[in-house]
Amino acid sequence: MANGWAPFIGLIIVAVFCAGAWFGSPKGENQTVWRSTLMLSAVAMYLMWVITFLAQLNPIIAPIRYDIRPEDEIPR
Amino acid sequence: MAPTKDTMFRSADMCLTQLYIANEIGREVVSALGELGVMDFRDLNSETTAFQRTFTQEIRRLDNVERQLRYFHAQMDKAGIPMRSIHDFNNPFTSPSASEIDELADKSQSLENRISSLNESYETLKKREVELTEWRWVLREAGGFFDRARGQTEEIRHSLDEDDAPLLRDVEQSGHTEGADRSFSVMNIGFVAGVIPRDRIAAFERILWRTLRGNLYMNQSEIPEPIINPETNEEISKNVFIIFAHGKEIIAKIRKISESLGADLYSVDENSELRRDQIREVNTRLSDLASVLRNTKYTLDAELTAIGRSLAAWMVIIKKEKGTYQTLNKFSYDHQRKTLIAEAWAPTNYLGVIKSTLRDVNDRAGLSVPTIVNQIKTTKTPPTFFKTNRFTLGFQSIIDAYGTMKYREVNPALPAIVTFPFFFAVMFGDFGHGVIIFLASLAMIYYERKLQRSKLDELFSMIFYGRYIIFMMGIYSMYTGLLYCDAFSKELPIFKSMWTWNDNGKGPTASRVDGYTYPFGMDWRWHDTDNDLLFSNSYKMKLSILLGWCHMTFSLGWSLVNARYFATPIDIWGNFVPGMIYFQSIFGYLSFSIVYKWCVDWAAIGRQPPSLLNMMIYMFLQPGTLEDPENPLYKGQAQVQVVLLLTALICVPILLFLKPFYLRWEHNKARALGYRGIGESTGVSALDDDDDEGQTLNNGRESFGNDEDGIAMITQDIHGEEHEEFDFGEIMIHQVIHTIEFCLEGVSHTASYLRLWALSLAHQRLSIVLWDMTMRIGFGFTGISGAIIMVIIFFVWFMLTVFVLCIMEGTSAMLHSLRLHWVEAMSKHFMGDGVPFEPFSFKILLEEDPVE
Repeated sequence: MANGWAPFIGLIIVAVFCAGAWFGSPKGENQTVWRSTLMLSAVAMYLMWVITFLAQLNPIIAPIRYDIRPEDEIPR
Repeated sequence: MAPTKDTMFRSADMCLTQLYIANEIGREVVSALGELGVMDFRDLNSETTAFQRTFTQEIRRLDNVERQLRYFHAQMDKAGIPMRSIHDFNNPFTSPSASEIDELADKSQSLENRISSLNESYETLKKREVELTEWRWVLREAGGFFDRARGQTEEIRHSLDEDDAPLLRDVEQSGHTEGADRSFSVMNIGFVAGVIPRDRIAAFERILWRTLRGNLYMNQSEIPEPIINPETNEEISKNVFIIFAHGKEIIAKIRKISESLGADLYSVDENSELRRDQIREVNTRLSDLASVLRNTKYTLDAELTAIGRSLAAWMVIIKKEKGTYQTLNKFSYDHQRKTLIAEAWAPTNYLGVIKSTLRDVNDRAGLSVPTIVNQIKTTKTPPTFFKTNRFTLGFQSIIDAYGTMKYREVNPALPAIVTFPFFFAVMFGDFGHGVIIFLASLAMIYYERKLQRSKLDELFSMIFYGRYIIFMMGIYSMYTGLLYCDAFSKELPIFKSMWTWNDNGKGPTASRVDGYTYPFGMDWRWHDTDNDLLFSNSYKMKLSILLGWCHMTFSLGWSLVNARYFATPIDIWGNFVPGMIYFQSIFGYLSFSIVYKWCVDWAAIGRQPPSLLNMMIYMFLQPGTLEDPENPLYKGQAQVQVVLLLTALICVPILLFLKPFYLRWEHNKARALGYRGIGESTGVSALDDDDDEGQTLNNGRESFGNDEDGIAMITQDIHGEEHEEFDFGEIMIHQVIHTIEFCLEGVSHTASYLRLWALSLAHQRLSIVLWDMTMRIGFGFTGISGAIIMVIIFFVWFMLTVFVLCIMEGTSAMLHSLRLHWVEAMSKHFMGDGVPFEPFSFKILLEEDPVE
């Protein structure tokens, strides 16, 4: 599984989206607002996603949960 | 010069325009421009006082009309008659003609007279009514006193002539009707009857007792219903009193005392027959009066209702008219040519509209002299103006609240449309709470028009003002909530988890599904684990640092854009480049290390990952050494860190000295070539200088010829701004402060972004606690009672979620996001020494001082 490639695939998607936003924004006096808002949103959302993704790419710790084991089986 | 399109990125391109308006149509022109609302008129008569200006007379007249309208409003409030709301009018209050204003003024004058005369007569009648009512009470109560007193006449009389009274006379006379008929006057006993406020009765009694040394007989009783004072409309409870005393002087004294204490005296006949007649008469008079009163009141109400139907429109008209004349007062008036001369800042893009409006006004007036519009070149700083719409208004006002932008500098409000709500969402990240605020904002946007018209309380109107900000916040909060995998503190198992519980799902440890990383957001398996904080704290801390680094680098980049736009290359080489290198070699490196550490599979290469915090500490305190030389983050780490540290250190003196010394060199070079600042010019007077400039700059001025007045008017505007003298010390101090601030801010601002982590942690923990304290307990009950308890608990939980988690926590997250923008981001590029654009606009005028 091409796990490590996911951020780059995401980057391409965001780049394509930004290009689309640049050219597809409605013309008129609010074009700048549309462009900036759509592109910045895409970048900000991508950043947050990629940071979360990378944080879990090579996890150093694994979850530990004691309360899923039935009461009588808890090792003492 | 073809002006470029105005966008939100930079403030609108402005130009100083000069208008020559024929005096006859001055009012019409200004009111048409007020409707347009894009011109910021400069005060050309700043030296003259308000009383000396041309149109003071008109303003006074309108003030009077305004006072009359306010009087009508007050009267309507008093009578409880509602005013027709401003929103119910269909016509958009197009500017009325001068004759209509005159008509309105006359009308309101006559209406005022009518209303006040009606009011006056109503008040007089009311006063009369009160008097009659009091009299009736006195008659009624006094009757009782008399009846009681009569029984005691004998006693009184006896006590008066005790000396010769035979002992048995008492017995003899008792029961005789003859005694009862004896009037008080026969016995020379006088009496005073009246009404006095209840709170004065004690003082009244005391004073009487003291002055008359107890020689009186006083009776009083309370009037059960309060008496309404017609002047103040206040209710006063009063007492009826009747005082018997002996002798004319004493009676006169009593009268004086009671009048001085605010008592109203009424004549009462001691004869019960006459008294009865009096009461009857008072009653008929009262009922007559009541019907007259009713009629008067009815007429008054009808009159006020008629006024109320159009009062709001009149108020708007008068306000506009007043605004027009106040603006006209800023114009300079040329008495010989009967023209008004105005100067105003206007966005260049609106000049066409302005010109066509002026032409329309001219055509309508049928005037052959056109209104002339000139553009003047000036060294003055134009005002900063952004055209906002419903959506951008909130964001723009966030930035404007910090400071007015420099003319044409990069507008931080444009990226803030995204970054402000996004940083909010990083702290507020919870899908459920995001949905709530998103829906709330949608509702506010959907009912926008309705809510705009209704009167909102202060808090809600603030929330309503920021509805589009909340809308964006809601969207991003839902997104970050999904990434945090939190919905009302519960997990969202959207994708297959990357962890499986060991020992057939019994745990407690988990192992990773090979080669699989949870694709979107945090893995939901971390929820409710015993070490989830360990993981999420590390993750959110690093997230904050990385987002902070991105945001600050982004903001620092705007300073490059600004420097390029204002064509100051020294700001690029003296500020931006060394600053950026300094910032990146320390904090960029930190960000790189964080990402690099994540990307390395430490378990696979069988090494212990180094601690990044210690790495940074060692980098500064012991450059060239590592905490654990055996276990570097990457090969050659020590050398790279030394180079980076040296680069950062080299940048500091460049940042400190390059710009001031360059400026000094430039200044000295200019002086060597013989240039002097205007202020230091020798020989030529400043006025002459300006005069020449004025002639060459503006053709329009030639029409003035040598008119002394005109020249003086124009020149005064130009030499307002002086060239600053070059002061090396000042520049150096400024740069030292900037350098110190920048270098220290790098550290403190990066740390400041950790608030993203702290607040999101607090928000998540709080929602977990809330769930555990309410809903989880609720799930413990079963059966019918369980269902009822569940409903109650759900209600409590939902209310707390909305008020504590959404409103309170949301406010705090918003404030923190605001700080991140004002301080951390805007300090990197914001100059903020602009002048706000304050156009003369009826719309703004009515918004600031609404008619309601």
